[in-house]
This record gives sequence, structure tokens and C-alpha cells, in this order.
Amino acid sequence: MRAFLAGARIQLRFLRSYPDSLIPFFTAPMFTVIFLMIFRHAGRPDLTAYATVAPVFIALWWLALFNAGWSIQIERWNGTIEMLVAAPSSFAAVILGRITTTTMIGVVSFAETWLVARLLFGATVRIHHLWAFVATIVITLATMAGTSVAMSSLFVLTRNAVTFSNAASYPFYILGGILVPVSVLPHWIRPVSSIVFLSWSADLLRAALRSTPMHDVGFRLGMVALLGVCGFALGAWAMRVILVRVRTSGELGTM
Amino acid sequence: MVWYALVSGANDYWAIWSAKSWVFGLQLRIFSQVSFFALIGKLLRSDEQAHFFLVGNAVMVAAMGATFAMNMTTAERANGTLSLLLASPTRPVVVFASRGLYVTADGILNGLLGLFIAGPLFGLHLPWPRILLVVPLTLLVGISAYCFSTFLAGVIIRQREITGLVVNATIVTLMTLCGVNVPVSFYPTWLAWISRCLPITNGLEAIRDVINGGSWSAVAAHTGAELLVASLWLTLALGTFGRFMRAGQRDGSLEYAS
Repeated sequence: MRAFLAGARIQLRFLRSYPDSLIPFFTAPMFTVIFLMIFRHAGRPDLTAYATVAPVFIALWWLALFNAGWSIQIERWNGTIEMLVAAPSSFAAVILGRITTTTMIGVVSFAETWLVARLLFGATVRIHHLWAFVATIVITLATMAGTSVAMSSLFVLTRNAVTFSNAASYPFYILGGILVPVSVLPHWIRPVSSIVFLSWSADLLRAALRSTPMHDVGFRLGMVALLGVCGFALGAWAMRVILVRVRTSGELGTM
Repeated sequence: MVWYALVSGANDYWAIWSAKSWVFGLQLRIFSQVSFFALIGKLLRSDEQAHFFLVGNAVMVAAMGATFAMNMTTAERANGTLSLLLASPTRPVVVFASRGLYVTADGILNGLLGLFIAGPLFGLHLPWPRILLVVPLTLLVGISAYCFSTFLAGVIIRQREITGLVVNATIVTLMTLCGVNVPVSFYPTWLAWISRCLPITNGLEAIRDVINGGSWSAVAAHTGAELLVASLWLTLALGTFGRFMRAGQRDGSLEYAS
């Protein structure tokens, strides 16, 4: 826990020092404008909720992914990764602390996107199923953080983590059905989507904004949580294996 | 000098990407980006809209590469090569513009690949032989965006902390204002005027005209407008880049290393 909190503290300092970390807070409102323009132009104001949910996922995914990538990369550039790995505290806990902090701050993008929708397009987003909505947000944030730990262990192995994280944006926006629901995607892609937690989260959030009754909320929330736990467990295991490997080969700072 | 910059850029490029990561990383991302927007057309149950988004976002990919070139000054600092480039007897704007050319070329290639691979998969008809005209037009859009990004690179050269922020904000702003996802006619008149002064807008309309079988006079008019916009941003970049650089050297705000 102490390692987790230390990671959280250092991440807050990084966020203050590096404005680049705040990129999603500039891009999320713009994506809201883009999606709302598209739906208004197409005469589909009924899709307003879709336009306000998708930018939040883009912001959260970006924050989790790039902070995971950059955490490792910056430690390498600073020459501190060896000390971090050699410390008795869990490396994964420090990274998780850093990622969780940024992910939590990502909630701000909700307010931003909905404000933009209201001020520029006069669109009101109404939450019809409050508890389902809140539960989805909480579990999604936790899952997002857990998945990022899995990603960060992969980033340890790549020389250019940012290149890797750049490539992992749009493919997951499609597979996760963050704007276009998975039901619209080709049939062959749907099994893959079902193991991407974003698809369950995005469906739940959109459903919570609709007035029609929600079905199987518990099961769907459970799926989000399960995929998050799997991601975290896989990430923590992979990181242990990787760290043993790079400690043995002495390639941690250079590979 | 431009040739050496391109050779050096090519070496940089293949140090970043292996053949495997280029195909399964970069190209997969580009294909996904174009498809992500094209799929909105499927959500709207309109092939016409899907094709509109597909063409717009493929061309946007070309411009995105040019905008990413703004990161070059930060990269030069990180690599410790900024002071060497500044010491070059050639004008700073030419040196930096040349160094970013490979990123722009990469963007243009990616945009074209996105269009020609995703297009047929989404049922977009690519009329032969006029479709060949899309290649030089995409090149023009990429260069136009690069002139714009070189100007912005000068403006922010002393604020390396915000380079990433400016690059990303510029990309989504262009994506919003340049008729990529909605026609320019959808914007209020004042915004449409701003849109027409930005790179991409006019060139993209020329490309849409080529693909949709528009008249040659319309293609020529939009191409001419894009050329004019590119020239204006290039003139602005040439006129200001050196000044921003010298101002940074004078007050010591132009750090040479990260």
C-alpha cells in the first residue's frame, strides 16, 4: 500500500510538471464536438449520449495507456528504473499507484464533455439509471487501471513504449465499441470484442443514459470487473517474469 | 542538405519501426483510425456517410503526419542534436523543415494506404484512372499541413513542455474544423471562412470531387485554394521561424538539452 501511495504522490507531481499529461483534457471536448456535429448533421440527436460517452473512454484509455508507457520510459531516461526495480517495494504497486491516480483524474473529462454538449449544442445528458451509472464508472476506472498494469509490463520489453501505445488506441476504440456499438461490427469481430472490457463498460454507460430498463446489470458489471482482475493478474505475473529475466540479462535500462 | 535530412530521417524511421511493428503497429492503427470513423456511417446506416468519413479521415492521417513533425524540435533536444542543427550555416527554418520531411512523407503514405485499403473494404468506388489524381492531391494536403505545422513549431519552439499538447490539440482542431467529418457548409459562415484558411479543407474537397466525379473546374478551384493556403502558411513560417529562434537564443529560453 505504501508503494502504491508513493506511486500516486509522484504521479501527481509529474502531472503538475508535464502539461503533456493533460492532453486528453484538451482533446476530449473536441472529440465531443466532432461526434455531436456528425450526429446533428445526420439528423440523429437521439445519439447524443453516444457522442458524450465515447470521448470519455478515449480520454481514460489515453491517460491509462500513455501514462503506463511514459512511466517506464521516463524512469529509463532518468536512469532511475534500475533503482526502482531493485527497491524492496513492489514495482507493480508503484506503477499501479501512478496509473490509478491519472485514471481517477480522468473523470474530469465527463464534466468537460457534458459541458461542451450543453454549451455548444444545447444538449442535455440525462442519467436514467444512476446507480448502474455510478457502479459502471467505479468498476471501469478500476479495470482501466488494472489493464494498464498489464500494458506497462509489455512496455518494459519494448524499446519504444510510446510507439507501442500509439498503436493501441484506435484498434481498441473499435473493439471496445466506445462509439459504434459492437452489435454494428462484423460478426467475426464480436468474440474478440467480448474480451475487451471497454465493450461491456461502453454498453452499460450508454444503457444507463437511456430511459428503457437495463437488463443483466450485475452480470455485465461482473464481466467488466472480471476482465479487469484478469488484466491486473496477467500484468503482475508478466512483470514478475520479465523483471527476473531483465535482471538476469542486465538489460533493463538499455533494452 | 534536404537530401541528407531525408537520409537521416529514413535511418531514424527504421530505427523506430521494424517491418513487423510497421505492419502490425502503425498500419493497423492507421487502418483502425480510418475504419473507426467509417463505422459511424454504418451506425447511421448510410454508406454515403461512411465513405465521407473514410475519405476525410484518410486524408486527415496524411495531415496528421505533417503535424507530428512539430515534435521534431523536442526530439532534437532530447537527442542532444539541437545545438548542432542551430550551428548549421543554413537558415534554421530550412534545417528544421528538412528534418521533419520524413515524418510528413510517412503521413502521406499512411493516408494513401488507409484510403486504398480501407476504401474498397467499405465499398468505396475508386474511379479509374482519375483516382490517380488523389495521390498528388494528398501530397499537396500533407505539404500544406506541414507549412502550417512549421509555422506553429516556430511559435512554440521555446516552450518544449507544451509541444505534445499543442500537437495533439492542433490535430483534433484540424479534424474538427477542416470538413473532415461534416461538410464545410455545415459550419456557421464565420467558421467556414476560418476553415478555408486552414490547411486540408480545400485539398480535401478537391479529393472528394475527384472520387465523387465532380467537375474538373471544381477540382482545379479547390486545388488552387489549397496551394494558396499552403503558400501563405509557408511565407508566414519563413518570415517568423528565425525570429522566434533568435529571440530564444537571446533570452536563454531556448534550452539545448532536455
